[in-house]
Amino acid sequence: MSAQIWVFIAYFCIVFAIGWYSLRATRGETDYWIAGGELGWFTGGATMAATHTSAGTFIGTIGVMYTAGWSFGWVLLSIPLSYWFMVAVLAPRFTRQKELTIPAFIETRYYGKGIRGLAAVIILVATVVYIQAQILAGGLIANAVFGVPTTAGMVGFTAILLVYTIVGGMVAVVYTDAFQLVVMGLGALFAVPLALRQVEGAGGLLTLVESAHPLVFTWETMPATLLLTMGLSFFLGGIATPEKLIRLYAMKDMRTIRRGVLFAIIMILSLNLLVFVLALTAIVLFPTLPTGDLAMPMIATAVLPATLGAIMLAAITAAMMSTVDSLLIVAGSALSVDIYQNLVDPGASPARRLRVDRLGILIVGSVPVVLLLSGVGEGELVQFIVLLFTALMAAAFVLPVVGGVLWRRATREGAAAAMVGGVGATFLWEAFGAASVEPVLCGFLASAVLYVGVSLATPPPPASAIEPYFGAPTR
Amino acid sequence: MSGPGFIFWGLFVACAAIVAAYAAWLVWEERR
Repeated sequence: MSAQIWVFIAYFCIVFAIGWYSLRATRGETDYWIAGGELGWFTGGATMAATHTSAGTFIGTIGVMYTAGWSFGWVLLSIPLSYWFMVAVLAPRFTRQKELTIPAFIETRYYGKGIRGLAAVIILVATVVYIQAQILAGGLIANAVFGVPTTAGMVGFTAILLVYTIVGGMVAVVYTDAFQLVVMGLGALFAVPLALRQVEGAGGLLTLVESAHPLVFTWETMPATLLLTMGLSFFLGGIATPEKLIRLYAMKDMRTIRRGVLFAIIMILSLNLLVFVLALTAIVLFPTLPTGDLAMPMIATAVLPATLGAIMLAAITAAMMSTVDSLLIVAGSALSVDIYQNLVDPGASPARRLRVDRLGILIVGSVPVVLLLSGVGEGELVQFIVLLFTALMAAAFVLPVVGGVLWRRATREGAAAAMVGGVGATFLWEAFGAASVEPVLCGFLASAVLYVGVSLATPPPPASAIEPYFGAPTR
Repeated sequence: MSGPGFIFWGLFVACAAIVAAYAAWLVWEERR
């Protein structure tokens, strides 16, 4: 068997072993959904970084940079700033009362089961689309490594992901994420020097890139409004995407969160910068690819020696899997905890709840692959799906979450209007708005106006909703 | 500044500066 297949077999064996270990460490719903709320800075930071780094980074970002040039790279700066805001402003208040899911926070702060259901539905729909984009990338990798059809690859990856996520819940996700972060780091670290050797080193690279793509180091390849609004999208989405917020509940305390996020920021920036350099080498080595999304698979298969190429492909797989498993947790909990147990069967026994939890993940994991197999959602550039998801989450949740812990006067009606209006405005801009402005701007502004306006027009919230989040923040 | 110099190297410098600033804030916050 080829080196590639051995690398992947070893990689999957380790992932399954972690899943098996996690089954034994999972004793109840708190373990299953937030890993007991006891993560340290290393595992917490690693799972944040691994979840953040998706196939969007290894396929999509490199694809956009291949097409649009280096100026896109500056959008990266919004990511550490958004984590910093999350840790310094949001987390000390948000984590005063731990919940199992983000919609559960919405119920506590906005005093209603209906609004919790609404949040869960938005999360479910947006997450399924996001998982689709990632699974599609997985299918392309499987095709490159094993030569199997893309559809078989998508089904195969989904099956692997579902096995360890269903079995081990958040504990499995966190430990596999830490392992997958290592794989990503190794892949990028090995690939960069080898790719640079093909283009006469770092100095040669810059000259060769400029002659292959003369505008690559200018600000002219992307409109400034697009760069700024993409940055805004990553900033706002970084604060309020549920798969990140839930990790604040999973980490032990504020001190752990502050340190874990420093680790996550360092890893995210390093991985992205390494990937950016790989994008430049792809411009020189493969100047005429039909789509930028092919740049990374080409580097892995045509530039690197077989074993290292396999590690690089494993790194892309790791990026994809470590994001999808976290999304499965978020979407699965929205379905089983926030919709089924909250609205349909509140009196279920703990054992039955865990069974329903696992069934929820099975359902949300199967839907994206079934949709893809029936031809829905194919052919979009991965990075733009990531951006749309981020925009939707930003428009729906930034104000209800951040405003919820900073502004006492915010009401249930205001939050519901902000969620629905934000999502609606994002879709409207995506469909009809100018392409040079990201839909997040319109979605966020609509959400802000509705949040403030409707909150002020409705009766103030009861003391029971305010009490958990106001007062001295946790340290 | 213009050309590949700033747009390329500036990004690396800016990333390092943000990490350093966050680390400094973290130390300040823990000593507070």
